[in-house]
Amino acid sequence: MIYYLLLPVFSLLLLTIQITVFDIFFLAGVAPEISLILVIYAGFYLGIARGGALSVVLGFFMDCMTGVVPGFFVLSYMLIFLISNVVSFRVYAGGMIFATGFTLACVLLEKLLIILMYKALYGMNVLCDILNISFFQAVVTGVLAPAFFALFRRLEVLLSVWESRSSGQL
Amino acid sequence: MASPKRLYTVIAVLILVAVSLISVSFYFKSPEKTGFFRKITLEAAAPLGSAVNSALGSIGMAWNRYVLLVELEEKNRELERTVASLTREVNDRREMSLECIRLRGLIDMKNDVGFPAVAARVAGRNRLSVFRTVLINKGTADGIETGFPVVAAEGVAGRIIEVSWNVSKVLLLVDYNSNIDALVQRNRCQGVLQGAGSSGCELKYVQRSQDVQVGDVVISSGLDGIFPKGLLLGTVAAVEKKDSGLFQRIKVYPTLDIAKLEEVLVIVKKRGDGR
Repeated sequence: MIYYLLLPVFSLLLLTIQITVFDIFFLAGVAPEISLILVIYAGFYLGIARGGALSVVLGFFMDCMTGVVPGFFVLSYMLIFLISNVVSFRVYAGGMIFATGFTLACVLLEKLLIILMYKALYGMNVLCDILNISFFQAVVTGVLAPAFFALFRRLEVLLSVWESRSSGQL
Repeated sequence: MASPKRLYTVIAVLILVAVSLISVSFYFKSPEKTGFFRKITLEAAAPLGSAVNSALGSIGMAWNRYVLLVELEEKNRELERTVASLTREVNDRREMSLECIRLRGLIDMKNDVGFPAVAARVAGRNRLSVFRTVLINKGTADGIETGFPVVAAEGVAGRIIEVSWNVSKVLLLVDYNSNIDALVQRNRCQGVLQGAGSSGCELKYVQRSQDVQVGDVVISSGLDGIFPKGLLLGTVAAVEKKDSGLFQRIKVYPTLDIAKLEEVLVIVKKRGDGR
Protein backbone atom coordinates (compact mmCIF):
# COMPACT_ATOMS: atom_id res chain seq x y z
CA MET A 1 0.00 0.00 0.00
CA ILE A 2 2.89 2.30 0.84
CA TYR A 3 4.13 1.77 -2.68
CA TYR A 4 0.93 3.16 -4.18
CA LEU A 5 0.91 6.09 -1.78
CA LEU A 6 4.50 7.01 -2.51
CA LEU A 7 4.17 6.40 -6.22
CA PRO A 8 2.76 9.83 -7.22
CA VAL A 9 5.20 11.69 -4.97
CA PHE A 10 8.29 9.90 -6.23
CA SER A 11 7.06 10.00 -9.80
CA LEU A 12 6.58 13.75 -9.60
CA LEU A 13 9.96 14.17 -7.99
CA LEU A 14 11.65 12.00 -10.60
CA LEU A 15 10.06 13.90 -13.46
CA THR A 16 10.92 17.22 -11.91
CA ILE A 17 14.54 16.16 -11.61
CA GLN A 18 14.48 14.77 -15.13
CA ILE A 19 13.10 17.98 -16.58
CA THR A 20 15.26 20.35 -14.57
CA VAL A 21 18.53 18.72 -13.51
CA PHE A 22 19.15 16.41 -16.45
CA ASP A 23 18.17 19.09 -18.89
CA ILE A 24 20.98 21.21 -17.53
CA PHE A 25 23.71 18.63 -17.09
CA PHE A 26 23.24 16.99 -20.45
CA LEU A 27 23.31 18.69 -23.78
CA ALA A 28 19.94 20.12 -24.72
CA GLY A 29 17.80 17.53 -26.41
CA VAL A 30 19.92 14.53 -25.57
CA ALA A 31 19.15 14.30 -21.87
CA PRO A 32 18.25 10.72 -20.93
CA GLU A 33 14.57 9.92 -20.42
CA ILE A 34 14.78 8.40 -16.96
CA SER A 35 11.02 7.96 -16.74
CA LEU A 36 11.12 5.68 -19.77
CA ILE A 37 13.95 3.63 -18.24
CA LEU A 38 11.80 3.27 -15.13
CA VAL A 39 8.85 2.13 -17.22
CA ILE A 40 11.04 -0.50 -18.91
CA TYR A 41 12.39 -1.54 -15.52
CA ALA A 42 8.83 -1.84 -14.27
CA GLY A 43 8.00 -4.02 -17.26
CA PHE A 44 10.98 -6.27 -16.56
CA TYR A 45 10.88 -6.61 -12.83
CA LEU A 46 7.65 -5.29 -11.30
CA GLY A 47 4.33 -7.02 -11.42
CA ILE A 48 1.58 -6.09 -13.82
CA ALA A 49 -0.34 -4.08 -11.21
CA ARG A 50 2.57 -2.22 -9.68
CA GLY A 51 4.37 -1.70 -12.96
CA GLY A 52 1.16 -0.73 -14.73
CA ALA A 53 0.26 1.80 -12.05
CA LEU A 54 3.75 3.22 -12.22
CA SER A 55 3.57 3.55 -16.00
CA VAL A 56 0.18 5.22 -15.89
CA VAL A 57 1.22 7.68 -13.19
CA LEU A 58 4.52 8.49 -14.91
CA GLY A 59 2.78 8.87 -18.26
CA PHE A 60 0.11 11.07 -16.74
CA PHE A 61 2.66 13.33 -15.07
CA MET A 62 4.71 13.47 -18.24
CA ASP A 63 1.58 14.47 -20.11
CA CYS A 64 0.84 17.16 -17.57
CA MET A 65 4.36 18.54 -17.42
CA THR A 66 5.70 18.22 -20.91
CA GLY A 67 3.08 16.72 -23.17
CA VAL A 68 1.20 18.53 -25.89
CA VAL A 69 -1.43 15.89 -26.46
CA PRO A 70 -2.84 14.71 -23.14
CA GLY A 71 -2.86 10.96 -22.89
CA PHE A 72 -0.04 10.41 -25.34
CA PHE A 73 2.57 9.55 -22.72
CA VAL A 74 0.09 7.43 -20.78
CA LEU A 75 -0.57 5.46 -23.92
CA SER A 76 3.02 5.18 -25.07
CA TYR A 77 4.36 4.33 -21.61
CA MET A 78 1.67 1.75 -21.21
CA LEU A 79 2.54 0.25 -24.55
CA ILE A 80 6.25 0.14 -23.71
CA PHE A 81 5.49 -1.30 -20.29
CA LEU A 82 3.40 -4.08 -21.79
CA ILE A 83 6.04 -4.86 -24.43
CA SER A 84 8.73 -4.96 -21.73
CA ASN A 85 6.57 -7.15 -19.60
CA VAL A 86 5.97 -9.59 -22.42
CA VAL A 87 9.64 -9.57 -23.41
CA SER A 88 10.72 -10.25 -19.82
CA PHE A 89 8.83 -13.56 -19.96
CA ARG A 90 10.71 -14.63 -23.08
CA VAL A 91 14.20 -13.19 -22.61
CA TYR A 92 16.57 -12.82 -19.67
CA ALA A 93 16.48 -9.06 -19.13
CA GLY A 94 19.35 -8.85 -16.64
CA GLY A 95 22.13 -8.50 -19.20
CA MET A 96 23.71 -5.12 -19.62
CA ILE A 97 23.86 -5.24 -23.41
CA PHE A 98 20.27 -6.38 -23.67
CA ALA A 99 19.12 -3.62 -21.31
CA THR A 100 21.01 -1.05 -23.36
CA GLY A 101 19.73 -2.32 -26.71
CA PHE A 102 16.16 -2.74 -25.54
CA THR A 103 16.04 0.73 -23.98
CA LEU A 104 17.48 2.21 -27.17
CA ALA A 105 14.77 0.46 -29.19
CA CYS A 106 12.05 1.66 -26.78
CA VAL A 107 13.20 5.28 -27.02
CA LEU A 108 13.13 5.03 -30.80
CA LEU A 109 9.68 3.45 -30.59
CA GLU A 110 8.45 6.30 -28.45
CA LYS A 111 9.81 8.81 -30.97
CA LEU A 112 8.18 6.86 -33.76
CA LEU A 113 4.87 7.10 -31.89
CA ILE A 114 5.36 10.85 -31.61
CA ILE A 115 6.00 11.10 -35.34
CA LEU A 116 2.92 9.01 -36.08
CA MET A 117 0.82 11.01 -33.65
CA TYR A 118 1.78 14.31 -35.25
CA LYS A 119 1.14 12.87 -38.68
CA ALA A 120 -2.25 11.46 -37.66
CA LEU A 121 -3.51 14.39 -35.62
CA TYR A 122 -2.03 17.41 -37.35
CA GLY A 123 -0.85 16.05 -40.67
CA MET A 124 2.66 17.29 -39.90
CA ASN A 125 5.88 15.49 -40.73
CA VAL A 126 8.23 15.94 -37.78
CA LEU A 127 10.56 13.13 -38.80
CA CYS A 128 13.54 15.34 -39.56
CA ASP A 129 13.16 17.42 -36.41
CA ILE A 130 12.95 14.41 -34.17
CA LEU A 131 15.58 12.29 -35.90
CA ASN A 132 18.16 15.00 -35.38
CA ILE A 133 18.08 14.51 -31.65
CA SER A 134 16.23 11.28 -30.97
CA PHE A 135 19.00 8.94 -32.02
CA PHE A 136 21.51 10.58 -29.69
CA GLN A 137 18.93 10.65 -26.93
CA ALA A 138 18.22 6.96 -27.51
CA VAL A 139 21.92 6.16 -27.33
CA VAL A 140 22.43 8.19 -24.15
CA THR A 141 19.34 6.67 -22.52
CA GLY A 142 20.37 3.18 -23.60
CA VAL A 143 23.90 3.56 -22.31
CA LEU A 144 22.69 4.84 -18.97
CA ALA A 145 19.92 2.26 -18.62
CA PRO A 146 21.96 -0.50 -16.88
CA ALA A 147 23.17 1.97 -14.26
CA PHE A 148 19.63 3.18 -13.61
CA PHE A 149 18.38 -0.39 -13.51
CA ALA A 150 20.87 -1.08 -10.72
CA LEU A 151 19.78 2.07 -8.91
CA PHE A 152 16.08 1.24 -9.23
CA ARG A 153 16.74 -2.29 -7.99
CA ARG A 154 18.37 -0.90 -4.85
CA LEU A 155 15.50 1.49 -4.31
CA GLU A 156 13.06 -1.37 -4.78
CA VAL A 157 14.90 -3.43 -2.17
CA LEU A 158 14.84 -0.50 0.24
CA LEU A 159 11.13 0.00 -0.36
CA SER A 160 10.46 -3.69 0.16
CA VAL A 161 12.34 -3.64 3.47
CA TRP A 162 10.42 -0.56 4.52
CA GLU A 163 7.10 -2.11 3.56
CA SER A 164 7.97 -5.29 5.43
CA ARG A 165 8.89 -3.32 8.54
CA SER A 166 5.74 -1.25 8.32
CA SER A 167 3.59 -4.32 8.06
CA GLY A 168 5.44 -5.95 10.98
CA GLN A 169 6.90 -8.82 9.01
CA LEU A 170 10.50 -8.02 10.06
CA MET B 1 -10.30 -22.75 -17.84
CA ALA B 2 -7.86 -19.89 -17.29
CA SER B 3 -5.90 -19.83 -14.04
CA PRO B 4 -6.72 -17.04 -11.55
CA LYS B 5 -3.28 -15.49 -12.06
CA ARG B 6 -3.67 -15.32 -15.81
CA LEU B 7 -7.16 -13.90 -15.36
CA TYR B 8 -5.82 -11.27 -12.98
CA THR B 9 -3.15 -10.30 -15.48
CA VAL B 10 -5.62 -10.02 -18.32
CA ILE B 11 -7.94 -7.87 -16.23
CA ALA B 12 -5.06 -5.66 -15.11
CA VAL B 13 -3.89 -5.20 -18.68
CA LEU B 14 -7.40 -4.38 -19.81
CA ILE B 15 -7.80 -1.84 -17.03
CA LEU B 16 -4.49 -0.21 -17.93
CA VAL B 17 -5.35 -0.05 -21.59
CA ALA B 18 -8.74 1.36 -20.72
CA VAL B 19 -7.17 4.01 -18.51
CA SER B 20 -4.81 4.94 -21.30
CA LEU B 21 -7.54 5.20 -23.86
CA ILE B 22 -9.79 7.16 -21.52
CA SER B 23 -6.92 9.50 -20.86
CA VAL B 24 -6.48 10.12 -24.57
CA SER B 25 -10.17 10.32 -25.21
CA PHE B 26 -10.52 13.19 -22.73
CA TYR B 27 -8.32 15.26 -24.97
CA PHE B 28 -10.41 14.59 -28.04
CA LYS B 29 -13.59 15.25 -26.12
CA SER B 30 -12.59 18.63 -24.77
CA PRO B 31 -9.08 19.56 -25.91
CA GLU B 32 -9.17 23.07 -24.43
CA LYS B 33 -10.31 22.03 -20.99
CA THR B 34 -7.80 21.08 -18.34
CA GLY B 35 -8.93 18.24 -16.14
CA PHE B 36 -8.99 18.29 -12.36
CA PHE B 37 -6.15 15.81 -11.89
CA ARG B 38 -4.07 17.62 -14.45
CA LYS B 39 -4.62 20.86 -12.58
CA ILE B 40 -3.61 19.19 -9.32
CA THR B 41 -0.51 17.78 -10.96
CA LEU B 42 0.45 21.12 -12.47
CA GLU B 43 -0.13 22.87 -9.15
CA ALA B 44 2.13 20.35 -7.42
CA ALA B 45 4.75 20.27 -10.13
CA ALA B 46 5.19 24.03 -10.44
CA PRO B 47 6.51 24.76 -6.91
CA LEU B 48 8.58 21.59 -6.98
CA GLY B 49 10.08 22.58 -10.29
CA SER B 50 10.69 26.14 -9.18
CA ALA B 51 12.35 24.89 -5.97
CA VAL B 52 14.64 22.60 -7.92
CA ASN B 53 15.27 25.34 -10.46
CA SER B 54 16.02 27.78 -7.69
CA ALA B 55 18.47 25.35 -6.09
CA LEU B 56 20.01 24.67 -9.47
CA GLY B 57 20.12 28.39 -10.16
CA SER B 58 22.00 28.96 -6.92
CA ILE B 59 24.40 26.16 -7.72
CA GLY B 60 24.75 27.45 -11.27
CA MET B 61 25.34 30.97 -10.01
CA ALA B 62 27.94 29.75 -7.52
CA TRP B 63 29.57 27.73 -10.27
CA ASN B 64 29.49 30.67 -12.67
CA ARG B 65 30.98 32.90 -10.02
CA TYR B 66 33.65 30.31 -9.36
CA VAL B 67 34.39 30.00 -13.05
CA LEU B 68 34.35 33.79 -13.31
CA LEU B 69 36.77 34.03 -10.39
CA VAL B 70 39.03 31.44 -11.97
CA GLU B 71 38.88 33.37 -15.24
CA LEU B 72 39.48 36.61 -13.38
CA GLU B 73 42.43 35.11 -11.56
CA GLU B 74 43.87 33.90 -14.83
CA LYS B 75 43.21 37.29 -16.43
CA ASN B 76 44.71 39.00 -13.41
CA ARG B 77 47.85 36.92 -13.67
CA GLU B 78 48.08 37.68 -17.35
CA LEU B 79 47.59 41.38 -16.68
CA GLU B 80 50.20 41.29 -13.93
CA ARG B 81 52.62 39.69 -16.36
CA THR B 82 51.78 42.34 -18.94
CA VAL B 83 52.17 45.13 -16.37
CA ALA B 84 55.53 43.73 -15.27
CA SER B 85 56.66 43.48 -18.88
CA LEU B 86 55.44 47.00 -19.68
CA THR B 87 57.00 48.37 -16.51
CA ARG B 88 60.32 46.86 -17.53
CA GLU B 89 59.92 48.33 -20.99
CA VAL B 90 59.00 51.77 -19.64
CA ASN B 91 61.93 51.60 -17.26
CA ASP B 92 64.26 50.65 -20.09
CA ARG B 93 62.95 53.52 -22.19
CA ARG B 94 63.28 55.92 -19.29
CA GLU B 95 66.83 54.72 -18.68
CA MET B 96 67.63 55.19 -22.35
CA SER B 97 66.14 58.66 -22.29
CA LEU B 98 68.09 59.64 -19.18
CA GLU B 99 71.25 58.14 -20.63
CA CYS B 100 70.66 60.15 -23.76
CA ILE B 101 70.37 63.33 -21.73
CA ARG B 102 73.54 62.52 -19.81
CA LEU B 103 75.47 61.64 -22.94
CA ARG B 104 74.26 64.80 -24.62
CA GLY B 105 75.60 66.72 -21.64
CA LEU B 106 78.90 64.91 -21.97
CA ILE B 107 79.08 65.72 -25.67
CA ASP B 108 78.38 69.38 -24.90
CA MET B 109 81.07 69.21 -22.27
CA LYS B 110 83.47 67.60 -24.68
CA ASN B 111 82.87 70.43 -27.15
CA ASP B 112 83.34 73.01 -24.42
CA VAL B 113 86.56 71.51 -23.07
CA GLY B 114 88.30 71.80 -26.37
CA PHE B 115 90.43 68.71 -25.86
CA PRO B 116 90.03 65.29 -27.26
CA ALA B 117 88.07 63.18 -24.80
CA VAL B 118 87.10 59.55 -24.30
CA ALA B 119 83.68 58.70 -22.98
CA ALA B 120 83.63 55.95 -20.39
CA ARG B 121 81.14 54.21 -18.21
CA VAL B 122 81.53 53.71 -14.49
CA ALA B 123 82.21 50.02 -14.07
CA GLY B 124 82.42 49.78 -10.32
CA ARG B 125 82.56 51.77 -7.16
CA ASN B 126 83.60 51.02 -3.65
CA ARG B 127 81.01 52.58 -1.41
CA LEU B 128 82.34 51.30 1.89
CA SER B 129 85.96 52.34 1.56
CA VAL B 130 87.35 55.62 2.82
CA PHE B 131 89.04 55.94 -0.52
CA ARG B 132 86.70 57.65 -2.92
CA THR B 133 87.45 56.01 -6.21
CA VAL B 134 85.53 54.55 -9.10
CA LEU B 135 86.51 52.24 -11.92
CA ILE B 136 85.76 53.14 -15.52
CA ASN B 137 85.70 50.82 -18.52
CA LYS B 138 88.41 52.51 -20.56
CA GLY B 139 92.18 52.13 -20.25
CA THR B 140 95.43 52.45 -22.13
CA ALA B 141 93.85 50.79 -25.13
CA ASP B 142 91.77 53.94 -25.49
CA GLY B 143 94.67 56.29 -24.96
CA ILE B 144 94.05 56.95 -21.30
CA GLU B 145 97.01 57.61 -19.03
CA THR B 146 97.51 58.32 -15.36
CA GLY B 147 96.71 61.87 -14.38
CA PHE B 148 94.09 62.52 -17.05
CA PRO B 149 91.20 64.61 -15.75
CA VAL B 150 87.78 63.01 -15.59
CA VAL B 151 84.68 65.12 -15.96
CA ALA B 152 80.95 64.62 -16.12
CA ALA B 153 78.23 66.85 -17.51
CA GLU B 154 77.77 68.50 -14.10
CA GLY B 155 81.45 69.17 -13.50
CA VAL B 156 84.77 67.66 -12.51
CA ALA B 157 84.69 64.08 -11.27
CA GLY B 158 88.34 63.48 -10.49
CA ARG B 159 91.49 62.20 -12.16
CA ILE B 160 92.94 58.92 -13.31
CA ILE B 161 95.30 57.42 -10.76
CA GLU B 162 95.72 53.91 -12.11
CA VAL B 163 95.25 52.55 -15.55
CA SER B 164 95.29 49.13 -17.14
CA TRP B 165 94.48 48.10 -20.70
CA ASN B 166 90.73 48.43 -20.47
CA VAL B 167 90.03 49.72 -16.98
CA SER B 168 91.08 52.84 -15.14
CA LYS B 169 90.74 53.97 -11.57
CA VAL B 170 89.49 57.49 -10.96
CA LEU B 171 90.34 59.36 -7.80
CA LEU B 172 87.23 61.40 -7.12
CA LEU B 173 87.49 65.02 -6.14
CA VAL B 174 85.97 64.29 -2.73
CA ASP B 175 88.78 61.91 -1.78
CA TYR B 176 91.14 63.23 0.88
CA ASN B 177 94.06 62.77 -1.55
CA SER B 178 92.45 64.94 -4.21
CA ASN B 179 93.83 68.44 -4.60
CA ILE B 180 92.71 70.68 -7.43
CA ASP B 181 93.81 74.22 -8.00
CA ALA B 182 90.62 76.29 -7.97
CA LEU B 183 89.17 79.72 -8.37
CA VAL B 184 86.12 81.38 -6.91
CA GLN B 185 84.36 82.39 -10.10
CA ARG B 186 82.87 85.64 -8.78
CA ASN B 187 86.01 87.33 -7.42
CA ARG B 188 88.72 85.10 -8.95
CA CYS B 189 90.37 84.43 -5.61
CA GLN B 190 92.51 81.32 -5.77
CA GLY B 191 92.77 78.29 -3.51
CA VAL B 192 93.20 74.54 -3.48
CA LEU B 193 90.13 72.38 -3.45
CA GLN B 194 90.82 69.37 -1.28
CA GLY B 195 88.53 66.41 -0.88
CA ALA B 196 86.86 65.99 2.50
CA GLY B 197 85.19 62.62 2.12
CA SER B 198 81.53 62.54 2.92
CA SER B 199 81.58 66.26 3.79
CA GLY B 200 82.35 67.13 0.21
CA CYS B 201 85.39 69.39 -0.35
CA GLU B 202 87.24 72.19 1.31
CA LEU B 203 88.69 75.20 -0.43
CA LYS B 204 92.00 75.83 1.25
CA TYR B 205 94.55 78.58 1.29
CA VAL B 206 92.13 81.40 0.65
CA GLN B 207 93.20 84.47 2.57
CA ARG B 208 90.98 85.88 5.29
CA SER B 209 90.77 89.16 3.48
CA GLN B 210 89.11 87.58 0.43
CA ASP B 211 85.37 88.01 0.11
CA VAL B 212 83.96 84.55 -0.36
CA GLN B 213 80.23 84.01 0.11
CA VAL B 214 77.97 81.04 0.39
CA GLY B 215 76.73 80.12 -3.07
CA ASP B 216 79.83 81.25 -4.90
CA VAL B 217 80.79 78.95 -7.75
CA VAL B 218 84.20 77.30 -7.62
CA ILE B 219 85.92 76.38 -10.88
CA SER B 220 89.26 74.88 -11.85
CA SER B 221 92.02 77.39 -12.35
CA GLY B 222 94.07 75.30 -14.78
CA LEU B 223 97.25 76.07 -12.88
CA ASP B 224 97.80 72.54 -11.59
CA GLY B 225 98.50 71.39 -15.11
CA ILE B 226 95.94 68.61 -14.84
CA PHE B 227 92.47 70.13 -15.12
CA PRO B 228 91.72 72.61 -17.87
CA LYS B 229 90.70 76.04 -16.71
CA GLY B 230 87.05 76.84 -16.08
CA LEU B 231 85.69 73.41 -15.23
CA LEU B 232 82.93 73.49 -12.67
CA LEU B 233 84.00 72.09 -9.29
CA GLY B 234 81.31 73.04 -6.81
CA THR B 235 79.56 75.78 -4.86
CA VAL B 236 80.50 77.32 -1.55
CA ALA B 237 78.37 75.88 1.21
CA ALA B 238 79.87 77.50 4.29
CA VAL B 239 82.53 80.07 5.08
CA GLU B 240 84.30 80.20 8.42
CA LYS B 241 86.71 82.90 9.41
CA LYS B 242 88.55 82.27 12.63
CA ASP B 243 89.86 85.10 14.78
CA SER B 244 93.41 83.99 14.26
CA GLY B 245 95.13 82.49 11.23
CA LEU B 246 95.87 83.56 7.70
CA PHE B 247 93.23 81.61 5.84
CA GLN B 248 89.53 81.16 6.05
CA ARG B 249 87.82 77.80 6.06
CA ILE B 250 85.50 77.32 3.10
CA LYS B 251 83.31 74.30 2.68
CA VAL B 252 82.41 73.42 -0.91
CA TYR B 253 79.75 71.04 -2.16
CA PRO B 254 80.72 69.40 -5.44
CA THR B 255 78.25 70.11 -8.22
CA LEU B 256 78.59 66.51 -9.26
CA ASP B 257 76.62 63.91 -7.34
CA ILE B 258 79.24 61.23 -6.93
CA ALA B 259 76.69 58.60 -5.97
CA LYS B 260 74.89 59.08 -9.28
CA LEU B 261 77.96 59.09 -11.47
CA GLU B 262 77.43 56.77 -14.43
CA GLU B 263 79.09 58.16 -17.53
CA VAL B 264 82.22 60.27 -17.57
CA LEU B 265 84.50 61.91 -20.04
CA VAL B 266 88.23 61.37 -19.75
CA ILE B 267 90.05 64.34 -21.19
CA VAL B 268 93.04 63.18 -23.16
CA LYS B 269 95.37 65.93 -22.08
CA LYS B 270 99.06 65.74 -21.43
CA ARG B 271 100.24 67.34 -18.21
CA GLY B 272 100.97 70.98 -18.80
CA ASP B 273 98.73 71.41 -21.81
CA GLY B 274 96.88 74.68 -21.40
CA ARG B 275 93.75 75.82 -23.03
